[in-house]
Amino acid sequence: MAAPSTLNRSLELAGTLPALMVAADRVAATVIQGVHGRRRVGQGDAFWQYRPYRDGDSASQIDWRQSARSRNLFVRETEWEAAASVWLWRDASPSMQYASLRNIDTKAVRAEVITLALASLLTDAAERVAVLGTGMRPITGRLAVRRVAETLFDETRDSTRTPPSLPPMVPLPAHGTVVLVSDWLDPLEKIEDIIRYYASVGVRGHLVQVLDPAEEDLPFDGHVKFEGLEAEGQHTIRRVETVRTAYGARLAAQREGLQRLARPANWTVHLHRTDRPAQTVLLSLYLAMADLRRLTVA
Amino acid sequence: MLSFGAFAFAAPGMLALLLALPVIYWLLRLIPPLPKLVRFPAIRLLIGLEPAEQTPMKMPWWLLLLRLLLAAALILAVARPLLNPQAELPGRGPLMLVIDDGWSSAPGWATRIAHAERLIQRAERANRPVVLTGTAPAPLDAPTVRRGAMRPDEARTLLRAFRPKPWPTDRAAAVTAIDQMQVDPAAYVVWLSDGLEDEGAPRLTERLRRFDGLQVLLPDQATTPLLLLPPAAEGRDLKVRALRPVADGPRKTAIQASDEQGRVVARIDLDFAASATQGEGVLAIPAELRNRMARLDIEAQGGAGSTILLDERHRRRPVAILGERATAGGQPLLQEIYFLERALDPYVSLSIGDRESVLTRNTAVLLIPDGAAPSANDREEIAKWIERGGIAVRFAGPNLAQGSDNLVPTPLRLGDRALGGVMSWGEPSALAEFPPNSPFLGILIPKDVRISQQVLAEPTPDLADKTWARLADGTPLVTAEKRGQGYLVLMHTTANTGWSNMSLSGLFVNMLQRLVTLSRGVAGDGVNKALKPWRTLDGFGRLGAPPAGIQMLPADAGETFLPKPSSPPGLYGDENAQVAFNIGGRIQPPKPLVLPSGVTTDRLSEGGETDLSRWFLLGALLLLLADLLISLWLRGLLPRALRFSRAAPAALLLAAAMTGAPDVQAQQLQPPQRPTTQTSTPQEKPGPPPLTEEQALKGSLDMRLAYIITGDKEVDDISKAGLEGLSEILRNRTSVEPADPVGLDLERDEPRLYPLIYWPVTATQPALSPRAQAALDRYLRTGGIIFIDTRDQQMSFDRPAGGNPDLKRLLAGVETPPLQTMPPDHVLTKAFYLLSDMPGRWQGGKLWIESGNGRVNDGVTTIVIGSNDYAGAWAVDQRGRGVMPVSPGGETQREMAFRFGVNLVMHALTGNYKDDQVHLPDIMQRLRR
Repeated sequence: MAAPSTLNRSLELAGTLPALMVAADRVAATVIQGVHGRRRVGQGDAFWQYRPYRDGDSASQIDWRQSARSRNLFVRETEWEAAASVWLWRDASPSMQYASLRNIDTKAVRAEVITLALASLLTDAAERVAVLGTGMRPITGRLAVRRVAETLFDETRDSTRTPPSLPPMVPLPAHGTVVLVSDWLDPLEKIEDIIRYYASVGVRGHLVQVLDPAEEDLPFDGHVKFEGLEAEGQHTIRRVETVRTAYGARLAAQREGLQRLARPANWTVHLHRTDRPAQTVLLSLYLAMADLRRLTVA
Repeated sequence: MLSFGAFAFAAPGMLALLLALPVIYWLLRLIPPLPKLVRFPAIRLLIGLEPAEQTPMKMPWWLLLLRLLLAAALILAVARPLLNPQAELPGRGPLMLVIDDGWSSAPGWATRIAHAERLIQRAERANRPVVLTGTAPAPLDAPTVRRGAMRPDEARTLLRAFRPKPWPTDRAAAVTAIDQMQVDPAAYVVWLSDGLEDEGAPRLTERLRRFDGLQVLLPDQATTPLLLLPPAAEGRDLKVRALRPVADGPRKTAIQASDEQGRVVARIDLDFAASATQGEGVLAIPAELRNRMARLDIEAQGGAGSTILLDERHRRRPVAILGERATAGGQPLLQEIYFLERALDPYVSLSIGDRESVLTRNTAVLLIPDGAAPSANDREEIAKWIERGGIAVRFAGPNLAQGSDNLVPTPLRLGDRALGGVMSWGEPSALAEFPPNSPFLGILIPKDVRISQQVLAEPTPDLADKTWARLADGTPLVTAEKRGQGYLVLMHTTANTGWSNMSLSGLFVNMLQRLVTLSRGVAGDGVNKALKPWRTLDGFGRLGAPPAGIQMLPADAGETFLPKPSSPPGLYGDENAQVAFNIGGRIQPPKPLVLPSGVTTDRLSEGGETDLSRWFLLGALLLLLADLLISLWLRGLLPRALRFSRAAPAALLLAAAMTGAPDVQAQQLQPPQRPTTQTSTPQEKPGPPPLTEEQALKGSLDMRLAYIITGDKEVDDISKAGLEGLSEILRNRTSVEPADPVGLDLERDEPRLYPLIYWPVTATQPALSPRAQAALDRYLRTGGIIFIDTRDQQMSFDRPAGGNPDLKRLLAGVETPPLQTMPPDHVLTKAFYLLSDMPGRWQGGKLWIESGNGRVNDGVTTIVIGSNDYAGAWAVDQRGRGVMPVSPGGETQREMAFRFGVNLVMHALTGNYKDDQVHLPDIMQRLRR
């Protein structure tokens, strides 16, 4: 796998968007303190405002230099700085190794590009990222993207193990965020289990469904024998054109099911076709994850 | 045989298989084609989906049609289809082929054999035996072949070994041979005749008519044999004659003369008048060429009868004059030898000497002037020489008049007779018409020739026969006597002007030439002894080594030679001297064959039936291949590159070949041709080349730097590496993020997609075609920038850049704006970096830009010409290190080169933006006020 080139493309892609800061509305103590301000008073290094001393403030909080300029005592307040942790996962199962046309990416490549671009956006904003299910600790900084990429590629390099088509269920701290990139063609019940598991501990999630145009349009005619990529067996259809509508309905139902599962957990679902540019889905993810209040001011 | 006009089937029974086609059709419809195999990740969504309609999967109509065609082609092939079929042979007995294979059959021999082969083929189809016989005697060395009825394939082998013979047919002998063969009387006879009559022809016709059926094939005009006769010398020229059996309209032929190596030395036309059986032509060639001629051929006839081999007799004769050459101090106009020499010199090879020297040499004609006065011993030798075939011509004169000797053809009276002298009563006499037995017959006698003195012959009974020319009063002027093989000729007057003015006239020349022609070449040599065969002609007129068993030619062959197996025409003798024996002149003139009425005749025909089986089999094979490819394609097993769009199967059936596919696709991709804008584009410049979609996308989705492909691989690689290095610098340092650079072939690619084109000047790049010039013009006019790098800074220190000859050559025809050296405050010095120097691999050198003072194109130069080999400085390897050394400034200079490159790209992309920025403080000042 041409890891560096995928990484470069992802960085290029990420370069088109400003750094992504994950909105942390419901920050709790478990959130690891971060390095960037949240535009409210809190723990942090950067100066935020002076306010008059109130009873109950500890003496150590008093800013003596400021207080010395007037008769009142002032307390120096810092801006609250907190980082969110985002766990990324992408489907590396054989069914992702598919491209119906020569000149478009396989689903797997596209999923990696999206994942790494997101990681790049997040680390630019000093958020912490990790790969879900690998035991990697969330890290940030310039090297983080490279680490994420290496972890992803290490996973696929092991050819003896077939990567699963569903994300692993590992315990995550509450109020974390997961971004799951897959084709989401597995039975809805299994997907529901995943979403339930994470939502129950308060983890927010974003599902990205990457599909090949052929999977969406079923552009075949006549007598076709279909063969799955994950040993699902074969299925022969005498006239593909007659089942196209039914297939479309099933695909719509699958997506509808995904939305239905995601909505109560306040998760989002993003659809993506490999013949479209990756920017669109990245932008859509960005909008869903970003702290837009901050963005507008910046 | 089942026949439809020009089409028939040899095995029509097989056509019954066509009845099976509906069954095949039904079976093919019943068996669905194998499904296309598709790997599909979303198969889970498909499982369980089954169409509502339950119609069985049908084969597409065009595939069905293709397979039915395939089956039909196979069935038709086994039914042996024939084009232009021949009718069945009449009769039931064997087929008997009688072939005239004498000299006359060589023209059109291939047609004759092809016709016979077709007849054998028909006999083979009808399972009838074949009898094959030729009418000419077989060569002596021919292997004995089985005669009589044989299998058609044996007959075919035998037929292919048949060759025309270089002698005439002997039909009487053929009748005997046919009688001996005891052929079934029910045989059907085809006689492939040469169309010539001979003594045996009626007998043969009679014999053949006794069989069940007879067809005689006659040659048409083009294959009618022509007989070439030996040429006759006529003065300087050779007169060539040819005979044909029947005067059937005008016919044009040509005679070509070739030398021993086969090179054609002369060629003349020989035409037969519409009603003549003889054609004549005159071969007028210089004597030197004439002596080189070895044979004459009728062009495009190719046969022993249309070939004449030439020997000594047809060459320039060696003629000797007895006597001695006059000394320089003598009076030539009184010398007899002078006149003889002048009369003969161009036509013959002359030698002068005494008897001993001239007779030991090869001499054809000996001239004895009166002054030579041969001694008795000489006369005896000369007489012997005449016996062996020499021709001696003696001239009268005072010596002969004084006392005659025995070396004269007829006894002479003593003394001479003067006519018209002072003492005479008569006038000088003119010549009478030549007598019919004279070799001079036909020579025009000039009116002014007068004989004033002569010797007189004693009247003898045979004097009239011996006289070849006489005076107007009947006295002989030339007498001759045949002695042995040769002649003794006496001119009764002198060879000089002493007794007559004849030696001053053309008559003298003509008469002497006739006498020389009379001779037989090198007299006395070869004819008296038997000759070995040296080279012989075969039936096609080719000269080759003689076959075994040929007899020596007897001494009297000159009279009795007849071409036959034991004495074929050819050259006889040894390597020193040969005598030619030809058919022409030795056999009867050809006459047309006379056939009794009631005999069916036909012409030889070229075309025959064609067996089409193999073509049908080939068609079936091609269809099978197409079917294989289609089946693979239907199942999705063909490589993607070969796939068609889904609408193409009918076209695929028609094409039946996959090779055409890429072309079709490429053409579909091209955008429709734009209407040419006549106003902006001059007529003679071609319109913009069509952009393919791929090119357009590649050029327009990302900004790219471009370079011109010069054809010099080393330079092009450096250009590419240089632009890659510059692109990397741009990506790292500026907001310009170019994609990989592209190479442009100006002859093919469209430059208008690229903002900046780098063009290294090489000596090897060919000048631009008008199309490329037009493209470049258009590019420059519409705002493109070309950066031309002459790369010659290191060799031309102060030469202006425009002085580079290659640059001039390459830019010829491109509308280049006027140039100036770059002023130090030009925007190029501040577009991104502030620069004062623009180094590349070399330093110094001026940069030339368009001079227009900022009025043209908003101050953006369209052309930048430098000489510092910039790409060489920009070229970096994968680790970012320079590929080529930079001098003299080293890496600092390389950095400067990069900075110049950045400025250049910035200039190309932003124009004079930075120039305007300079004025910003002023503008702000003004606004504030």
